[in-house]
Amino acid sequence: MTEPSRRDFLKLARAGFLWLSGALALGGLFRFLDYEPNPAPKTEFDLGPVDQFALGSRTLLSDPPAVLLHTESGFSALSLTCTHLGCTVEQTTDGFACPCHASRFDADGKVTHGPASQSLRKLRVEVTEAGNLILYTD
Amino acid sequence: MRRILALSSFLTSTLLSASFLLTLLFVWWWNSRQPKPIELIPTLTGQPEYCLTCHADLPEISASHPVETFGCVSCHGGERLALDADLAHSSMRGGANPSDLSVVETSCGGSNCHSGSEADDRHHIQRVMTSVQSTYAGAIASIRYTFGAQTDLNARFGIAAVTDEQTRTGIQSLAAFELSSESNPSIQKFGEECLTCHLHAEPREGEDYARQTGCAACHTPLFDSPPIFGENGGSQRGVHTLTTAISYTQCNACHNRGNYDLRTMTFIERSDHATTRLQNYYQPIAQFTLCEYTLDCVDCHTRGEAMGDGDIHNDQASIEYVQCKTCHGTLDELPRTKTLTDPNDIAFTLAFLNPVIDLKLGDTILVTERGEPLWNIRALPDGTYEMVGKATSQYFTFRPVMGTDCEQNPDEQESRYCHECHAVER
Repeated sequence: MTEPSRRDFLKLARAGFLWLSGALALGGLFRFLDYEPNPAPKTEFDLGPVDQFALGSRTLLSDPPAVLLHTESGFSALSLTCTHLGCTVEQTTDGFACPCHASRFDADGKVTHGPASQSLRKLRVEVTEAGNLILYTD
Repeated sequence: MRRILALSSFLTSTLLSASFLLTLLFVWWWNSRQPKPIELIPTLTGQPEYCLTCHADLPEISASHPVETFGCVSCHGGERLALDADLAHSSMRGGANPSDLSVVETSCGGSNCHSGSEADDRHHIQRVMTSVQSTYAGAIASIRYTFGAQTDLNARFGIAAVTDEQTRTGIQSLAAFELSSESNPSIQKFGEECLTCHLHAEPREGEDYARQTGCAACHTPLFDSPPIFGENGGSQRGVHTLTTAISYTQCNACHNRGNYDLRTMTFIERSDHATTRLQNYYQPIAQFTLCEYTLDCVDCHTRGEAMGDGDIHNDQASIEYVQCKTCHGTLDELPRTKTLTDPNDIAFTLAFLNPVIDLKLGDTILVTERGEPLWNIRALPDGTYEMVGKATSQYFTFRPVMGTDCEQNPDEQESRYCHECHAVER
């Protein structure tokens, strides 16, 4: 077996470098093509089976921040996002209070103390054929 | 010869391919070292921003400005989607201080925020802009009068031009003080040496003059706090905090650093090195009572005095009005009080923002002669009063002058008269 010449060694090294470069570049390309942007914020929330929420219940939800009400007239929901600047309001004995700027709302979401000037937003609630509650925030 | 050229060509192409590979490896390594972007979509804007990728360790600036609601860009500006520090910071407002008065309207303004209506008590920026702390109107008028540039002490100029269309003081506007229009050498010197002590101006160089500008001058603690990042990545004194619990040290950053020498129009720094609250609070020549150094400035002085009331005032004396009698009354009169019957009373809002006291409907608090609530002072059933320190949360009780052996003259109510008997020795 003859020893490789200097030229053969350079050829081999060059081929190796180019193959490795190609592999790296392909890896980068695959990573780029594989990139998935963050999904748009959800506006539809499956709250699970209807029977989890008894008649007369008021259920605080954390995601999305809302309170789900089950009354004789059906399901309804109030957003817990303060209409002043968007902080999440907290439930109090007689309604809701914003921990950021002290706006207060009654149990129906109406403003009783500013700086907020609008009632808490009512959210749409629907029951699916499968008996699940869907809350819409859009 | 041809063989040598061929070998050289091989060598060159091999080196080039090696360089290409090294470059790719470097890019891969550099990319792998980049932090994973942290996305935040603040409720207020609904627009994603990536500031938390690098700044997730900053403390919440205040309970009223949670980052989930406000994000960073609403107040600070900057390129919300950039991950490169220089690019992200390139369009920030006011460097690390978006409350600088040159940008405060964009950063902190808005009808729902701090430039709302006076009726809603949301005209904070207007109040600051027209306040004596911002205009320096009294000092400018006084110096111009002293050196013959005007014939009375009426304020005509402020550090910046300012207007007040609904004036209650009769001063509708101040023109910007232009040094180039002044010919007197002493006024020139005043302009050169003495205009750095107001909310618009960057402080003089040097640790002794360290302070913030704009809202942060009062509301962002400067002392005893870790440094925060600066405009170009360097550290800066102060902390990522906004508070209404303002310690006297914050006030002293401007108000107790020394004195002006009117002969030379220069600022003479304090020569003593105070190490205790008693020494630090006042300069050696000052007289004061126990409460005047045990409490913090904001315990007695109202926000109207400190921040302005929305009107342009001629000088400090016309806005600073709280006296000893405001809290202690006189021999003939008890201090003014007000029983809280309206849940929307501003006192509740102020107590909410600095919850050192649990105010309730039916509580009786003190009010000043101009009707400002001293919401941290409550009247007790036994005829005494209870004060809670706004910065320290300490409780103090005190009694009114009425019914005591105080020898005051009813017409002499300035603190200097009280100091004749009640001054602290040091």
